[in-house]
Amino acid sequence: MITQPHHVPERLALLSGSAADTFLTEGLLRGEEVHSGIDMAKVVEPLPEDDARWSTEPIRSLVDDAMFAFDTEHTGADAWLAPRIHATLRLTRREAADRRLWNHLALAVAPDYVVWRHLSEASRRVAPERFHGPTDRQCFSRLWWAAELFRNGPDYGPVEVACGNQDLIHTVLRKDLIDHRPTAQALVRLLKDGKVTTGRELNGLSVAINAAGATVVYDALAPDEPRDAADLRDWIEEAQTAPPVARHVLPQGPDEEPVPDESVSVLTDYFTELFETAPVRGRRTED
Amino acid sequence: MKIYPYKRLGRPITLRVTSVSLKLSDGTRDPLDTSAYSTQEQAVALGVAGHSDWVSATIGLSATLPPGADAPDAAWSDLRVLAVLTDGETNVRTSTPLTRDAEGSRDWSGHLEVLRDDHLGRASLSAYAVGTVDGVRGRSITETDRSWIVDTVSDEPVRGLRLDVRKASFNKSSREWLRAYGDAPWLVDTTARVPTVFVNTDIDGIVGLLDSNGSGVESKARDLLVAQMATDVWTAVFHGAIGDLEVEPDGGPVFPTDWQGEVLREMLPDVVPGVHVEEALRRVHRRRTGEAGWGELQTRIHYAAVRRADAAKAVGFMIRSLERTNRESET
Repeated sequence: MITQPHHVPERLALLSGSAADTFLTEGLLRGEEVHSGIDMAKVVEPLPEDDARWSTEPIRSLVDDAMFAFDTEHTGADAWLAPRIHATLRLTRREAADRRLWNHLALAVAPDYVVWRHLSEASRRVAPERFHGPTDRQCFSRLWWAAELFRNGPDYGPVEVACGNQDLIHTVLRKDLIDHRPTAQALVRLLKDGKVTTGRELNGLSVAINAAGATVVYDALAPDEPRDAADLRDWIEEAQTAPPVARHVLPQGPDEEPVPDESVSVLTDYFTELFETAPVRGRRTED
Repeated sequence: MKIYPYKRLGRPITLRVTSVSLKLSDGTRDPLDTSAYSTQEQAVALGVAGHSDWVSATIGLSATLPPGADAPDAAWSDLRVLAVLTDGETNVRTSTPLTRDAEGSRDWSGHLEVLRDDHLGRASLSAYAVGTVDGVRGRSITETDRSWIVDTVSDEPVRGLRLDVRKASFNKSSREWLRAYGDAPWLVDTTARVPTVFVNTDIDGIVGLLDSNGSGVESKARDLLVAQMATDVWTAVFHGAIGDLEVEPDGGPVFPTDWQGEVLREMLPDVVPGVHVEEALRRVHRRRTGEAGWGELQTRIHYAAVRRADAAKAVGFMIRSLERTNRESET
């Protein structure tokens, strides 16, 4: 298994997909050989110097801790790392939608983590999308976005629940339905209460939620608080002086309004009803 | 056509943008003039005033419901109208309620906030009328049939896909990866946020030709060159979009929500004519991942690209221009 590149940059940067491609060698995808880091430094676009958020050391130290703590069960690292990556790398959604940032993180800063987490037993290979794929597939951006979409204001508790279920982040993260915060929280509540657990059940439920969404406007049924730019900006500003993120307790997210509890309850009940009548593969309807 | 388990209004909501203003980082407001939005294109361009430091935009909206929304025998009660802004790239979904202009009026209006930090490129804006039907709250009664596009970067309100054209010396560019392509006049990069054409300024005279705006043969040659580039772009972008498709557990492809989705929606009717775009996408995906038919499809993809690039027009004008030059040199 590879280690980190000999030369890890001190600052995060932007690495375009075209430039990244030459570094995705078969040796890297098999986890056998990693670039030295020197050639990559030549093809990146730098980020502003005066912003502490782009320091790579806090992230490098997080992934090292994750590899140590989850040595025997690599998938378990997702639920631990997602809130902590999010609270370390304080980004706006605009910044987080730029795939070049994630390309750089995966290829220049922590390719060893990508291999450690995603080397497939069956093919003995890492899927290239884990390095530079869509945001819901790429190794680090999927965790950041899971944290962003499942956190309830400053509370990362629901993120731990969501990321503790591989099926949820695998099948639901790319769906538009969780863009509505109360819907995301209702899904977590169903998961937490044990009402849905397996991938098939989750899939059946999300298909049913989408189908019902054609006739019910969830924004009207379960309203959300309006987004406030200032709370998030303050939190991002605090990144300049923030200490390393807590390892043993959950960090705090941006001080945004939580989802109205009433809306989550309404949707939880509605989805429970949908789920009881939804066709789920492998589930008998009469039992 | 969708079937609904309750009565709805048969006609869509008409949604209009009535004003746009930007809040700048120093706290001041800049009202944008009407060039920032186009009712014809159903597009808003927040980049028109050239501000890069805006924090949020306030978009004034007016929605007109079709007749019948307030009929005394309507199947719904508690009628409400809301505007919803979505962005597939940043997973943003926000909504704002509209209020009725006057009692009995079919016009509803309100304001929607667009936060700069929440968008990288384009968001989509639609309106829904909802009511309580048979005890179920939030039932959709009717909606807009075509969303507005809110482009947070563009300086011109147009719906169509915008390309980014950049000039660079491939041999000396800070983008070191371009150096490997030093002898190419242009390159298409589809991995960027919007498809980008890099024009190689090392090719002597190419910039002069591309910037020419006269009316002679030169400008026709330029248009032909641009059409050729555009054909390359559309072809590359189509392949990029098809190659990046995500797949549902049942094997069916998912329609992308970003510009790749726009490209596919635009080109698929020419690639697989006569079927709905969703079905067309499934067929193309089957051909690419299946055992046969991908090669055969290339002609149709090329055709769709050529049409979009207006290549026939460019060739036609070039030929006429050459004919005229030849005639003039003979006399």
